Amino acid sequence: MSEGLEPVALARAALAIRRQFLRMHYEARSGHVGSGLSAIDVLTYLYSVWLRPTDQFILSKGHGASSLYATLHHFGKLSDAELATYYKDDTLLPAHPAPRGVAAIPAATGSLGHGLPIAAGMAYSHKYLRSTDVRVACLLSDGECNEGSTWEATLFAAHHRLSNLTVIVDANGIQGFGRTEDVLALEPFAKKWEAFGFEVSECNGHDFAALHAALSEPSAGRPRCVIARTVKGKGVSFMENTVDWHYWPINEAQYGQAISELDRTESELSP
Amino acid sequence: MRVDFVKAVESVLARDADSLFVTGDLGFNALEGLVAKYGKRFINAGVAEQGMIGLAAGIALTGLRPWVYSIAPFATYRCLEQIRNDVCLHQLPVRIVGNGGGYTYGIMGSTHHALEDLAVLKVLPNMQLFFPCANDQVAAAVALIAELDGPSYLRLSVSAYNTDRAPLSEHPVTLTRSYATRADRSKPGVTVIGAGHGVQVALRALTAHGLDRENADVFGVARFPFRLAEDSALLASVLETKNVVFVEEHYAAGGMGESMKLALPQFTAFSLMSASYRPDQRYGSAAFHMQQTELTPEALMTLVQAQLRST
Repeated sequence: MSEGLEPVALARAALAIRRQFLRMHYEARSGHVGSGLSAIDVLTYLYSVWLRPTDQFILSKGHGASSLYATLHHFGKLSDAELATYYKDDTLLPAHPAPRGVAAIPAATGSLGHGLPIAAGMAYSHKYLRSTDVRVACLLSDGECNEGSTWEATLFAAHHRLSNLTVIVDANGIQGFGRTEDVLALEPFAKKWEAFGFEVSECNGHDFAALHAALSEPSAGRPRCVIARTVKGKGVSFMENTVDWHYWPINEAQYGQAISELDRTESELSP
Repeated sequence: MRVDFVKAVESVLARDADSLFVTGDLGFNALEGLVAKYGKRFINAGVAEQGMIGLAAGIALTGLRPWVYSIAPFATYRCLEQIRNDVCLHQLPVRIVGNGGGYTYGIMGSTHHALEDLAVLKVLPNMQLFFPCANDQVAAAVALIAELDGPSYLRLSVSAYNTDRAPLSEHPVTLTRSYATRADRSKPGVTVIGAGHGVQVALRALTAHGLDRENADVFGVARFPFRLAEDSALLASVLETKNVVFVEEHYAAGGMGESMKLALPQFTAFSLMSASYRPDQRYGSAAFHMQQTELTPEALMTLVQAQLRST
């Protein structure tokens, strides 16, 4: 276990965020549940440990917006009143992040392949033009690594040695219409990022110690990519590893079962 | 216009430390001076227009003001979604510059022509378009763009009819130019309006085809959205002549002529000279394409005379 890291506390935070997230989706009858659940542990780690106050985070997988809203709310960056508007008329929290909507979300995303170029531009500016020590993290889906613009940005980031840029890929192995390896194979995925000039590590994206180890390696002057191997729908047994839960809303019985599963997981955590 | 642009943008870079220059690997034999002088404030994003606009938006999100340069078709079409989402929706001061509007790159072929650039960009929220009429207007456009807090597109072009004719006046904000005024306001007249370097067709008609004898007011517009409330001379001309001939080096659909027709308050006749797509397209110089699509001073004279006859 990494020094100073409190995995149980992180697990409790992630469970609280999953509860909030499921309640939001249940009440709103909104989809993209599986994609949010796969990202919540990474988001929990980033917001509780990795991101410093001036650091920037870009959620390139914009369809995971609700998991980011729930995370920002948990860490006090979105109010109860703001969160209560999620997916309703007159909200600043639509299904994909809005431009200029919330201070903690610098860029609107939702069309895939946009986040990494933006993050790379921010990192370039902070490293070379504004000369700050701001770090930029960008969370991609594996599916959006189909997008050419993602790879345009990797070329740029590596060429300019953007050591202040960290990419995390939420590699849950499932995209819009099937398994990533069946739709447009990405493997050997880590080797692709390495060949593009990134420092690459792979880890279990639900293991906080492993995320911490991967994301706190000393920089060798290059941008970093952490391929977080995740499970779509993580934390709710019947949502795990299915394409269906990319789309479906949650009904009452499913919501009850999901929450009881989270309760059980929490009761099994060491005190 | 490219030489004038580089000179003007260099003065912006010199006085505004928060500005920078980004190119999509174009500018050979034009931008070398900027590379040497501005170091990390000069970025070659490579042949990667989507990434280029996205990273420019990211840079602008940190409070800086990038000028992003490519040729007009490359700076606009492939990266249209990045312009819409990353730049326009975020209201960012990204200054997109497209060299070679219209048929400027004639013999380079249709992939290099930009005949829809203003159409696709004019509908985007917060976008402001600048399309100088002539080389000597580029500096004024650059100076106005440099003050904007939001997105813009500057269309640089070389007209096949490049005519060195000084304007009679130029509005400091709308950039609308007057190039000729009617000799006799009591007689039937016509208002000729050119969009950007499209006005060069009318200038050639003035200098070589007798348009100056046809009781015509000639204006060049260079900015969209139009600011007609400030263009009192142009408005007065149309109200008096009620005859308008509009010239643009751009397709009619979505072009500036279409927008002008909607914006003008009252007229009897409105003739639009635009580029048109040809399934049997053949290729040549910009002048060849202008002839082929009938964007010529002769065609302009025919339209002007027809309007005057029916007045």
